[in-house]
Amino acid sequence: MAMTWLMLTIGLPWLGALVIWLVGDRDEKFTHLLAVAFSVAAGGAALLLLPYGKERLLFAIPMGGVFGDFTFVVDGLGVFLAAIATVVGSLAVIFSVDYMHGEQQLARYYAFVLFFIGGMAGLVLTSNLLLMFFFWEITALCSYALISFHNDDPKAVAGGIKALIITQFGGIGLLAGALLLYAYTGSNDFQPLLENPAIVPAGVLAWMGFGCLIAAAAKSAQFPFQTWLPDAMEAPTPISALIHAATMVNAGVYLLARFYPAFAIVPGWREAVMICGILSALLAAMMAMVATDLKRVLAYSTVSQLGFMVYAVGAGGVFASQFHLLSHSVFKALLFLAAGAVIHSIGTRDMRQMGGLGQHMPLTRAVFIVGGLALAGIPIFNGFWSKELILEAGLHGNPLWLYGLMVLVAGLTAFYTVRMIAMVFYGEARTGLHVHDAGSAMKVALLPLAIGSLTTWLLAGPFGHLLAESLPAHHLEVHSTWAMVEEVIAAPATYLALGVVAIGLLAGWQRKRLIPLGQALGGVSKAAAESFGFEAINRGVVIATQKLAEALRVTQPGLLNWNVFAIVCALLILLASLAVGGR
Amino acid sequence: MILSVPNVVILMVVGLLGVGIYALLTVRNLIKVVVALQIMVKGAMLALVLAGRLQGQENLGQSMALTVIVADTIVAVVGLALAVQVRRVVGSLDLRALTTLRR
Repeated sequence: MAMTWLMLTIGLPWLGALVIWLVGDRDEKFTHLLAVAFSVAAGGAALLLLPYGKERLLFAIPMGGVFGDFTFVVDGLGVFLAAIATVVGSLAVIFSVDYMHGEQQLARYYAFVLFFIGGMAGLVLTSNLLLMFFFWEITALCSYALISFHNDDPKAVAGGIKALIITQFGGIGLLAGALLLYAYTGSNDFQPLLENPAIVPAGVLAWMGFGCLIAAAAKSAQFPFQTWLPDAMEAPTPISALIHAATMVNAGVYLLARFYPAFAIVPGWREAVMICGILSALLAAMMAMVATDLKRVLAYSTVSQLGFMVYAVGAGGVFASQFHLLSHSVFKALLFLAAGAVIHSIGTRDMRQMGGLGQHMPLTRAVFIVGGLALAGIPIFNGFWSKELILEAGLHGNPLWLYGLMVLVAGLTAFYTVRMIAMVFYGEARTGLHVHDAGSAMKVALLPLAIGSLTTWLLAGPFGHLLAESLPAHHLEVHSTWAMVEEVIAAPATYLALGVVAIGLLAGWQRKRLIPLGQALGGVSKAAAESFGFEAINRGVVIATQKLAEALRVTQPGLLNWNVFAIVCALLILLASLAVGGR
Repeated sequence: MILSVPNVVILMVVGLLGVGIYALLTVRNLIKVVVALQIMVKGAMLALVLAGRLQGQENLGQSMALTVIVADTIVAVVGLALAVQVRRVVGSLDLRALTTLRR
């Protein structure tokens, strides 16, 4: 039975993508209906797959001698992320019914959305590293196609290409890992590696570990690859929710958590992961404090929260990182969809032109504040519990100054959240804006997420046991929900973090009085607005590549004889290397 | 070196491939390029037949060679047709006249 649900979880979105592509744009309502039906059915299949996660079932589809078996594993980590991808994905699709109303080429939009969701489900459910690489690239391709959905807008096209190039760079790291695994174990299945990392020589394991870190950093928009995510904001807002909450960026954190048992023994790997997470969290939080585009603030906050998760994996808190991933995907999907309702309503993303929208969109304001408080880590919202668990995991046997930095970032998070809410929903109402509240399909998508932001932390116990029972190699230590609550309440570190968060909230609320301080730190905020020079580095790389290509043009005279000469040279080099290394 | 049948055939294969590659490296006339390709393919065909014979799978080697003959004929036909078109459009069969393609 589990096999059926597994195949349906991956297959239904892909089947839907095919059907919608073939049906085309004949009838707008029918296209919406098909997309919602297929995505909701896939979400249902993933939820039905959840109970099987404890049993750690393995499936293999024989694929002949070249590829080996295509293996799938149904364990806690996989089913949980597949459920997030399909359920949050289906809510984004439902939201799109209102948001994309009247758009051209809906078939292309929905086909790629469903292809994306299916690819992500496959990525987390396979235990074959080569197959995982294929799914990895499918998600990269779909994200490119969806970010550039408005392909007559040069900014959207540029953003899509940037996302594609940077995530491709990470894909090379994953491919190298897959090839090394195959070279040393004769199979692409990574389960043996997790159970016994010693089957691969230590030096090679280090290469694989850092290759995977690069892959994860590129995919999850971590330092130093974080620049593609804010530019991906040119996508339609439901796509931003899909990329940020349900699919794409979770893949990197998943990769690190999945391979933690193998790479934790590599010297320096955990420290590198922690540094990567902290720098992402800190820099992105500072950029979020000065950004004025509503979606960019949310994008930076995603980078920052993903930094928390990456840091948690490095600090050894695999459960805490996955728990925060769950909380984050719920509240970030909520924030993005609510922001989408605002943008859809008034037609701009610039927060300076908003203000006082709360009176006209009470429901949107309510759910946005729920999401914002969860993001800031206010007690009883899901973001509070998972963030506290991460901070606590960071205390065990890791340098104290790293912990201090993360607490500081938690405070900055509270600051930019309050700033964002105040700029959008409070203050003076702008006249001349025609404002209406979210449509009915939007409400259908927003309400479950708002309820989820308040309640998913209750799942900590069952979720922890699911992970601990099905991931023996990770040696997870988990407690029931009640024990977690007691632990968090009893820990003095919680109150320290809460104090910092409260200061952040207060500073955000009274930020007008802080203007002198802001001017004193003018250099920092200017650097943050310029994304700390990373954009300049990107531009430099692009220009250098173009110049190099122009210089290398000399080697392409377009003459047939010259090309044949190069082919013969390559053949000779190949023969020589075979003669030398062939034994 | 013993002058057995396989050795002689290998020499012929190497000779045909050598002539073909030398021609491809030096000639500038498009018709001659097509001829050079044909010579190389004949060498490859001979190698296929020989390989089949040496492995005891004569049928396989010869049927592969037949397949190559068919494919090779198509290459020759399309190549010559392209040559005719190039002559018509560019006014010359010289390869150097075709370097404008790189822009």
